[in-house]
Amino acid sequence: MADPATAAAVAASAAEKGGSGGLPQFDVSQWPGQMVWILIIFGVLYLLFSRVFVPAVGGTINAREDKISGDIGDARRARDAANAELAAAAGELEAARARAQRVAAEAQAQAKAAAVERQAQEEAKLAQALTAAEARIASARADAMAHVREIAVETAQAMIARLTGTQADRAEVERALTAAPAS
Amino acid sequence: MAAIEPMEQFLVHKVVDLPPIPVPGLGMLDMSITNSVLFMLIAAILISGFFFASARRQIVPGRLQALAEMLYNMVDGTLTGGIIGDRGRPFLPFVFTLFLLIAMLNLIGLAPGGFAVTSQLAVTAALAVMTFTIVLVVGFARNGLGFFKLFFPPGMPLGVAIPMMFIEFISFSVRPLTLAMRLFGNMLGGHVVTYMFASFVIGLGLFGLEGAGLAKLGLIGSVISFLVIVALLALEFVVAFLQAFVFAALTCVYLNEVVNLDHGH
Repeated sequence: MADPATAAAVAASAAEKGGSGGLPQFDVSQWPGQMVWILIIFGVLYLLFSRVFVPAVGGTINAREDKISGDIGDARRARDAANAELAAAAGELEAARARAQRVAAEAQAQAKAAAVERQAQEEAKLAQALTAAEARIASARADAMAHVREIAVETAQAMIARLTGTQADRAEVERALTAAPAS
Repeated sequence: MAAIEPMEQFLVHKVVDLPPIPVPGLGMLDMSITNSVLFMLIAAILISGFFFASARRQIVPGRLQALAEMLYNMVDGTLTGGIIGDRGRPFLPFVFTLFLLIAMLNLIGLAPGGFAVTSQLAVTAALAVMTFTIVLVVGFARNGLGFFKLFFPPGMPLGVAIPMMFIEFISFSVRPLTLAMRLFGNMLGGHVVTYMFASFVIGLGLFGLEGAGLAKLGLIGSVISFLVIVALLALEFVVAFLQAFVFAALTCVYLNEVVNLDHGH
């Protein structure tokens, strides 16, 4: 506190107030200069703040918020797109499975139909063979029956020849056989 | 032993002499740079320098930018946004400047060798009258003569409303005084008390060193006084910030009344 200016001011102020040591703040002669200066300084600072600092800081904060919300929006959109693709892939998988099942079912049905058809063909073939066999049997029987008459004629001729010693006429024997009632 | 002069620290003296400027009708205005003006200029330069340095506009802020944004968000969110609401945005630069200037003046007043500009009644009165004037100007500009509705409490019988009007008017009129005195008194008190305890440290310390016997207890008193100064300074830092905040908050309260007068905010 050895500053000469301060000491002088103390002395002057003390002298003014008669050495009572009152508050120097109430020395009104110092007021106008301080009041005008603080208002000027405030005005300059206010201009700086309203034109430069507040827009700069506020703009930076807004830009950051915009960027963050934009990034969150991007991320959300990307997630939605991924979810949509996932759903599409699941749908495709489902469709593919359904198609495979359909193909399998068709193949099964075709195989069954083919089997039935083949069975039917076989049965038809068998039936044909059966019919043919029956026809053959019938013709064989007819043949046999025809031969029975011949055998009967020959047997009758032979019996007649042995019994009577004469050769019986074939046509007469046949006539007699036909006339005889079938026993 | 040096004389104990707790008020000496508030003496205003010239640092740079400037010729007085004549003001018509009022006489001469002495615009010399005093120690008080010098510290106002230092505060203004510190504030501007800080904001120029911190205005990097980076998405990921550095330390200075983060501090500047914290202060901005505090004033924008708690003061103009919180007290005035949506209509408070235009007053953000004003309240921000007021808060930062007072806070900086309070803080450099606490620095060793610093001059407590806000313990000058002239300075706090100038700021308070300026705030009051702005409230009046905004009030009349926004509401016209509807401004006087401020003194009529809504929904009151006439017999109560008239005395209430006087009370409201008086409480409105003393606002610049209370604004100025609150800041002035807090700063003055803090500095005087700190000075007194500092003088105890030296006075009791010398007394204890020079004396004998019981006088040695003075040394203990000196140490205790020193510890009290440490605690007081911590408190004064809080007060420096708080009083700036209170001044800015009251400014917002006063602005809110006139800005949101029409829809009973």
